[in-house]
Amino acid sequence: MAVSFTINGMQRTFDGDEEMPLLWHLREEAGLKGTKFGCGIGQCGACTVHLDGEAVRSCSVPMGAIADANITTIEGLADGDNLHPVQEAWLEEDVPQCGYCQAGQIMATVAFLKDTPNPTDEDINDGITNLCRCGTYYRIRKAIKRAAENMATA
Amino acid sequence: MASLNRRVFLKSATATATMVVMVSQTPHILAQDAPSSGSVSPCLKLDSNGQIALCVPIPDMGQGMETTAAQMIADELNVNLDDVKVELMPFLGRTNAEGRAVFGRFYQGGGGSGSTMRIYHEVRRTAAYARTVLLEAAARNWRIPRRGLVAENGHVRDPNSERSISYTDLLQSAQSVGDEVKPNSIDPKPANAHTAIGKDTKNVHGKAIVTGEPIFGIDADISDMAHAVVRRCPYLNGDVVGFDDTRARQVPGVIDITTLDRIPEDKSIYRSVAAGVAVIAETYWAARKAADLIEIEWDGSASLEDDTEILKSRCLAALDGDDFTTSIEGGDLQAALSSASHVVEATYIHPHWAHTCIEPHSCIANVQGDEAEIWVGHQFMDAAINGVTNAVGISPDKVKANFYRMGTGFGRKFEEDFVMEAALLSKAVGRAVKVTWSREDEMEQDYVNSLGAYRLRAAIDGNGNINGWHIRAASDTVPAIITREYPARLVGNYKGEFHQVPNGVSRGAWRGPHHNVAGWVIQSFLDEIAAASGKDRLQNLLDVYSKKDVLKSLNWPYRDTFFERYRAVLQKAADESGFGKKMPAGWGQGIAVHHTFVSVCAHVVEVEMLGDNDYRVHRVTSAIDCGLAVNPLGVRAQVESGIMDGLCAAKYGKWTLDKGLVTTNNFDSYQKMRINEAPAYVDIHILDFGETEPRGTGEVSLPPVIPALTNAIFAASGKRLRSLPISENL
Repeated sequence: MAVSFTINGMQRTFDGDEEMPLLWHLREEAGLKGTKFGCGIGQCGACTVHLDGEAVRSCSVPMGAIADANITTIEGLADGDNLHPVQEAWLEEDVPQCGYCQAGQIMATVAFLKDTPNPTDEDINDGITNLCRCGTYYRIRKAIKRAAENMATA
Repeated sequence: MASLNRRVFLKSATATATMVVMVSQTPHILAQDAPSSGSVSPCLKLDSNGQIALCVPIPDMGQGMETTAAQMIADELNVNLDDVKVELMPFLGRTNAEGRAVFGRFYQGGGGSGSTMRIYHEVRRTAAYARTVLLEAAARNWRIPRRGLVAENGHVRDPNSERSISYTDLLQSAQSVGDEVKPNSIDPKPANAHTAIGKDTKNVHGKAIVTGEPIFGIDADISDMAHAVVRRCPYLNGDVVGFDDTRARQVPGVIDITTLDRIPEDKSIYRSVAAGVAVIAETYWAARKAADLIEIEWDGSASLEDDTEILKSRCLAALDGDDFTTSIEGGDLQAALSSASHVVEATYIHPHWAHTCIEPHSCIANVQGDEAEIWVGHQFMDAAINGVTNAVGISPDKVKANFYRMGTGFGRKFEEDFVMEAALLSKAVGRAVKVTWSREDEMEQDYVNSLGAYRLRAAIDGNGNINGWHIRAASDTVPAIITREYPARLVGNYKGEFHQVPNGVSRGAWRGPHHNVAGWVIQSFLDEIAAASGKDRLQNLLDVYSKKDVLKSLNWPYRDTFFERYRAVLQKAADESGFGKKMPAGWGQGIAVHHTFVSVCAHVVEVEMLGDNDYRVHRVTSAIDCGLAVNPLGVRAQVESGIMDGLCAAKYGKWTLDKGLVTTNNFDSYQKMRINEAPAYVDIHILDFGETEPRGTGEVSLPPVIPALTNAIFAASGKRLRSLPISENL
């Protein structure tokens, strides 16, 4: 049975294997390579996208489960040429080293800041669980706080 | 061959551009290559739309190499990095007499914390040549002498007439300059004229990263390629006995299912490619799904004694025996021990660590007849190309290689296995094949950090000074390096001995090979000596490194060690952290220093115990001497990275073998540190001794952070950690 949903505002239909994780639809069928494969078991968060505004790990979301959902990926986060404040904060703090996990980190942070617009260190410790193998955590923490500040004054 | 001429096909308009710089076998001619295709030199590409691209020789895996190299070029060309693109050069090496790809004008590999220093002169010299060609081109346009013209902001300006012309408008004229400018005749700027070098510079690919552009090896696609997923034997050096692929073949899109034999066949030789069963299919998901449906019977009998507990026992037992090779000896150790006021002795042990590169390996190969092309993220361009040669026998000069950014490397993406598999499978099915590894593959087929045990003895004289130093190392990897490390030779009476236990474990380079554990063992033991002697811990270290001014290191790259630098980084880290200040109960500070390859770094780590068995790292204060910091912001990033990597490996790193079967194969069984355990404050100081040459940073901060942590835990709790990982031993 075909499944309909949107990705970054574009209507799409899927008629394939409903067991296939959303991650592979994004990367291999929708041509959106920004969402990364890291572990396949929902542990690392490199594949984080938004499903109806919530951060989910797309390696663990089967296509059969996304009927009528609105999916946002890193490619859909900016408003045209205007980067999202979290993307801006990532650049201002020069967070990325290799950069592989950062799309997932940014998507996780955007969803996190919606619920926790003025986070403490403990909020960040509890709310951000994505793995960064370069260990950019020190700068991620600063970027989250900077994004929160920028969004509060925007 | 038509199929080999297919362009890289990425499903985005912002795809990595195809390189147009031509390859030359001769360094002398290299700098003048490809005038018709838009390059002024291998470092500079211009197009008629006004786009300037700086081309860098070494791939980036997060160490910031593309940014650092771009700074070098921007400095010579007087361009603003915000106004240009930065691209990766193709391989510019050659094939040697033995039929191997070797580097040419540029070093084109990332490793040994030395990439920056290895390209520093050639890249700037090549860029200086390009600048001079542009000046000459403008001079010809204006029919005036070159002398006096100024290159700035991507333009050549004539100060006399205030005429100005952009570099890109000079492309055509530059191509006719020819021999007028000799490629190696132009010296780069002196250090005091640098404008980009030495300045904090953000990651040049930052925007591509935060917007999700397809810049990594795993993002590459080409038209008409098939996908492969390989079920590799999870037992070390195991084999496929047989398999049933009935159900797998029913998956729509499956093209073929084939075995991959272990390479080499002789299991006493290091593994190049694991035995396995490969599914080739039209899509990744079809290949993955089919692969999981194959019933495979493995033979794991070859490595039953490659078992974490057995190897640890054998290393410990070896320490009690006599089967050692002496690597270093001087003075009279026995006399020092027998005349000592007291002798301190301790035994340390650590398990294997996995790389856990965040980007699982992947490679596309297209092997057609006697030619091949690959698309891959790899640390060393020559090694990747040689991987194709080793797999299918195609000469390196018939291999076209397209390189990408890597989602970390840490030494693992130096290996050839993931390239070899792709070449073998492409040859088997006669079309381009992309092999994508799973996380389980990446961890099960790792070339891990060594497992080892160490026994150290120190003779302390009546004044509390170290008068004798004895280290025995037993490991699955020849552990000679740690035995040659200081304070041997600083202490007058010393002996270092090593023993390798027989094993079949695939071992390889892991960030700061050998040093990553040598730092922990030696700096922990020095802290034990201070505690046993009632000495101030910082003073104890300063005393050790005050015994000599300079010694030539006996470890690679065999440079002079200036102990003034050890003392300087120790003192700076201590001063900035307030080392020795009064801490609340359950809090503690630890200090340590280590020299890794070319640079020296010290840390002070501050911890708070969380009950008896856990802790939180609150603050790390660091000082590093890495010579000229081309990008101080990038140096700090690398120091931060090494801190986090070391804190993570120390607490959780344990790659486990159960009778040859790898039992830690994803992030559920191999835990990694997240932001909640990362120190919220990191304070890094780059020391400036006025050097005009860069050295290196990528691995340097990791080795000393582990002992700084365990020494801090000792200060906070009284518990001395002599066995890693901390999470299982505190």
